[in-house]
Amino acid sequence: MTDVKSEKSSNTASGWSRRSVLKATSAGAVGAVATPLFYTQNAWAEEAIGNYPVKGSEVVLGFNVPQTGAYADEGADELRAYKLAVKHLNNGGGMLDTLKPSKLTGNGILGKKVTYVTGDTQTNADASRTSARRMIERDKVIMVTGGSSSGIAIAQQYLCNELGIIFMCGLTHSNDTTGKDKQRYGFRHFFNAHMTGKALSPVLSKEYGKDRRAFHLTADYSWGHTQQQSMQEFTEKEGWSTEGNIMTPLKTTDFSQYLSQVLNSDADVLVLNHYGANMVNSLTNAVNFGMRDMQKNGKNLEIVVPLYSRLMAKGAGSANIDGVLGTSGWNWALEDEGSKVFVKTFTDEYGFPPSQAAHTCYVQTLLYANACEMAGTFYPPEVIKALEDFKFTGAGNGETLYRGADHQCIKDILVMQGNSPSARTSDFDYLKIVDQVDAATVDYDPAIFGGELGPYVPA
Amino acid sequence: MDMTLNAFTLYILTGLQLGSIFVLIALGLTLIFGTLGVVNFAHGALYLIAIYLAVSINNALGFGLALILVPPILFVFGVLMERGLIQRFYDRPHTDQILVTFGLAIVIQELLKWVFGANNIPFAIPSWGNGILMLHDYLPFLDGFVVYPKWRLILVVVSIVTVTAVFALLHLTRFGLVIRAGMRDAEMMQFLGVNINRRFMIVFGLGSMIAGIAGVFGGPVTQVSPEVGMHLLVPSFLVVVIGGMGSLGGAVIAGILIGMAQSFTAPYINLNTVIIYLITVVILLVRPRGLLGAKGVFE
Repeated sequence: MTDVKSEKSSNTASGWSRRSVLKATSAGAVGAVATPLFYTQNAWAEEAIGNYPVKGSEVVLGFNVPQTGAYADEGADELRAYKLAVKHLNNGGGMLDTLKPSKLTGNGILGKKVTYVTGDTQTNADASRTSARRMIERDKVIMVTGGSSSGIAIAQQYLCNELGIIFMCGLTHSNDTTGKDKQRYGFRHFFNAHMTGKALSPVLSKEYGKDRRAFHLTADYSWGHTQQQSMQEFTEKEGWSTEGNIMTPLKTTDFSQYLSQVLNSDADVLVLNHYGANMVNSLTNAVNFGMRDMQKNGKNLEIVVPLYSRLMAKGAGSANIDGVLGTSGWNWALEDEGSKVFVKTFTDEYGFPPSQAAHTCYVQTLLYANACEMAGTFYPPEVIKALEDFKFTGAGNGETLYRGADHQCIKDILVMQGNSPSARTSDFDYLKIVDQVDAATVDYDPAIFGGELGPYVPA
Repeated sequence: MDMTLNAFTLYILTGLQLGSIFVLIALGLTLIFGTLGVVNFAHGALYLIAIYLAVSINNALGFGLALILVPPILFVFGVLMERGLIQRFYDRPHTDQILVTFGLAIVIQELLKWVFGANNIPFAIPSWGNGILMLHDYLPFLDGFVVYPKWRLILVVVSIVTVTAVFALLHLTRFGLVIRAGMRDAEMMQFLGVNINRRFMIVFGLGSMIAGIAGVFGGPVTQVSPEVGMHLLVPSFLVVVIGGMGSLGGAVIAGILIGMAQSFTAPYINLNTVIIYLITVVILLVRPRGLLGAKGVFE
């Protein structure tokens, strides 16, 4: 900055007019403001953002997961994955051996030992924000990650963005997370409802035919709404019609009043845009209503569960999910190197294979750490730039792009089908992989959902 | 959606069936309130214990044993709960009773989650109750194909039988006479040499036992996860309030009313979510003591 000023002074040494003084002053003022932005790349790295700079020999990560409430089992599995990721970051092993390109060394992040604090989101937006704020303000975490619901992820993402802390989303599947609610400081590795619709609909029309009438039951919150819209859009593109959609309150335990509406319609496919306990109850109720053995319009009535998880499948029971189609982000039965090494280290540590929630949380932690190594700093704007448009392999979903335009990972996703009780060989293979839909097929224009990422340096 | 006769029949059946589970839970709640004057917020947790016990016994030993064992176990649990905790709060304000029972409900819920996990445990319907009933075979006015799950119709029948049994116990037996007299004036009963406390303990056990019956038959409908108790507690409590605190008849009418309201508003999410609160507000404005509430109770 002083260089600029002295250069300007020397140029005007021959004589000063009122005009040239004004010009020089305004140019100097513009230069003084703009210099840090374009002259020295690392000069702004001195600026404190969030909990940057990291002091001491340790760096703290915040794992904010549901430890109580409806998603506590998923939260517990996420926490297992986070602890494993920390272990691998500090000591090597796991996906550190398969992730490419990678600058991870197994010696912490940027030479600092990784430690962590945990919080309980309670699957409640207010509780999750309180917990995240505590981690940020009291425990001085450099990054927050976790969550098992889109409403919670979006709430934390806004908070973290405001406070200059990077938020690596856990399990969130709403289009809004990286759509209208996307934030510069928020990143999602998990896939979304739009990609589910795109991957699943062709399989559905192939299995059940093009002349089908769908009835949707939809969880009444961010994820449910976007899931329903996406399923309707893509099934209609396959030639299906939509008979109706009922929004169901999240706390519903008995879905009979909604299922009666389905019975009373001409629909021959029931799409359950429900997740977790909601899906377990609605599917079980639908089976009780005889919907798996019923014929409508001369066809077998079919049930579809767009977003599947192993825990949900187990909760609903093999007999109920037998043959039911849906999608997953990842499954422990995948045979690529990244998945194999993750499943092995996880199983060695805990005695059973990881869930898709565990997978996405583990990968998110490694990707954040790797971005810090690539940027050579914890300074959030530089870490964000390292993550944006980062292409990688070896993390379990083929070649993956962390798209810069909306911070959504574009990767392969899985079409899954419920295993029958007799086909099941263990307590973990409730679902089988029917199809691996490649990233190019589920890719989409990030502009379709609107939203703005916002600036690199929070206001 | 057109309101055809078929649709109307389905609405009515669904309303009855939703109401049945509210009635079963509210019955115990109002029985305990009417006799002991205790607002038992742990009643949802009693239902929770019942469904976990029922699913465990059902999966290991079959439904028959669950049906035989769960209600008596819940009776004993209720008696122990009354002796160990609730009786110490008889003379305390209602707010203290609410706080202690609500706290107990949370403890029970978290304990069950600790033992069984937060995920759902599938509760299979026994083979004799599984499947659907072809209503059009029995009801000639129905047009075409109209079906309903057998188990839910069984739940309605169980509810009717239980309500009838409780009414009979209170109105046709000497035990019931003493209880009803105790409800009017417990002090006078003590003066007459009746050990009313012991009978109240049995009433608490009975209320708990009804939650046991609700758990055995309601478990396959509500499914088995730790959140179920709390989710059912609020509507059931509202059923008690709408019906009139302590009124068994009121609870039955209010339970069915709430069930019907939920059934008929199902296609309209906004109305469906608030309908029970709307009904509560309207009824309490028109009849501040609830539909069949007695003067002087909880006033």
